[in-house]
Amino acid sequence: MIDEGRAAMESWHLPDEELRRYGERTLAPPVLWSVEAHLTACAHCRHRLAAGQPAVLRDGWERLDAELDAPVPGAVERLLTRAGVAGHTARLLAATPVLRLSWLAAVVSTLALTAVLAAVLHPVVFLAAAPLLPVCGVALSFGPRADPTYEIAVVAPMHTFRLLLLRCVAVLSATTALSAVASLAVPDIGLAALGWFLPALTLTLLSLALTARLGPVLAAACVGLGWIAVVVSTRGAGATGSTVFVPAGQLASAVAAVLAAVVLARIHRAFESPRRFR
Amino acid sequence: MTVAAATSVVHASGLTLRYGRTAALTDVSFTLYDGVTGLLGPNGAGKTTLLRIVATALPPDQGTLSVLGNDPRTPAGRLAVRRRLGYLPQDPGFHPGFTAFEFVDYVAILKELTDRRARHQEVSRVLDAVGLSGQRGRRIRALSGGMRQRVALAAALAGDPDLLVLDEPTVGLDPEQRLRFREVIAELGEGRSVLLSTHQTEEVMALCQRVVVLDGGTVRFEGTPADLAAHARGRVWTSGARVAGALASWRAGDGRYRNVGDPPAGAELLEPTVEDGYLMLVDTPAREETGR
Repeated sequence: MIDEGRAAMESWHLPDEELRRYGERTLAPPVLWSVEAHLTACAHCRHRLAAGQPAVLRDGWERLDAELDAPVPGAVERLLTRAGVAGHTARLLAATPVLRLSWLAAVVSTLALTAVLAAVLHPVVFLAAAPLLPVCGVALSFGPRADPTYEIAVVAPMHTFRLLLLRCVAVLSATTALSAVASLAVPDIGLAALGWFLPALTLTLLSLALTARLGPVLAAACVGLGWIAVVVSTRGAGATGSTVFVPAGQLASAVAAVLAAVVLARIHRAFESPRRFR
Repeated sequence: MTVAAATSVVHASGLTLRYGRTAALTDVSFTLYDGVTGLLGPNGAGKTTLLRIVATALPPDQGTLSVLGNDPRTPAGRLAVRRRLGYLPQDPGFHPGFTAFEFVDYVAILKELTDRRARHQEVSRVLDAVGLSGQRGRRIRALSGGMRQRVALAAALAGDPDLLVLDEPTVGLDPEQRLRFREVIAELGEGRSVLLSTHQTEEVMALCQRVVVLDGGTVRFEGTPADLAAHARGRVWTSGARVAGALASWRAGDGRYRNVGDPPAGAELLEPTVEDGYLMLVDTPAREETGR
């Protein structure tokens, strides 16, 4: 049956025009499929293609060579591409220092410890600690001290700010997912156990806005200390232990997040030409 | 517009940059053309700062700069430069878990090569250009210093840039690696512009068509290596003993002393080298210079 098909294929040959367009990769389906099926079966037309367009043949081998030589992506990259992230974005994210297993293990340990302390002492321990994790993660994801390729990234045409945002989203996603799971261990405060989410977003945006002027580490330190001061100064006797985690406090946090985002949008060009590399 | 400005690749005028109270560069002006140009100077001369400014990593406090016909002070100009630039920093960092291929691929993505197939072809091409085809699958942490430097050069070459800025590319390499690296750079200089910093005069002699000497944050010389050597013409002589008053005096391979400075009357003068010219420049205070 196959031999009959092959014989039928070889009884006619592709027109020169179709062969040329196939070589130039300008043919569209269904003609493309038909031509490919014929080339698979017809040695004569394959030889015509190779002889007529040697550059096309060479390019094809080079493409094949590059594909075969390309290394298999690592675990983080594979996970990201399976989640629908584009291949090149996945590779950029795979270089994020805090997506390494050691950092994720540290986040899990911290969340487990604070969840235990929340159960033994007060839920505010967990609610106050969880927003600091993405702030630390962002500080350790970008900048001359954290990113070994920072200087190369700064002079690359891809906007530095875009790279920073990509890494922030990755850090926020990872810490949010882990914190959400840890929230299940916080006892009996209902939905208030998710009161860390908006402050986490706000503190991350605030630290980003300050990064352009202070650098990532000092910005994160300032925001972290400021956050602790706010939680301590608004402490109360309620179930969450601070007015930051009641609806009014959450609203204030959301407003602060919007303001920080506006500032960030206005100053984003400052990330393109930093003043320091150490 | 002058002819030089019309054909130059980089034209800098009056560049000044301060780090707090320290002046890193003061009124630096120079022009870069096609081919390999060496930026020569002692440690702390301001070479890295100047290269960072040319590479658009740092903005100068004052002065004007044109790179590949664009003004890096504007966002559009900066982007246009970055799209045609290859940059090798003095201390190129690596993500240690990446292989050589993955690292160059990562930098290629930063250079906006997002099509996977075309990018992988380009990565293969540049790894081949630096002689690392066989090492593409090895983790960077397992590579030698020379190989890592070549990986960083391959990353700089991704996208076939028109201007290569290389900050001390051969520092830390052994003599054989340095020689191989020079071969690669010399080849790269054909058909594009390369600006490389070094504090080794033999590198300038081996590689560069032009040289800029930077010392104390100011340009002390700009011209060809032969012009730099000529700067010491009539100021290099040989003697049987060390000369105390010379700028430099050292025993050469023939057992006699080679001296640079003001020769005594009747001294046996020698043909100056680039190193002699450089010594004359950096060991002589700027106020005594008559050339520029």
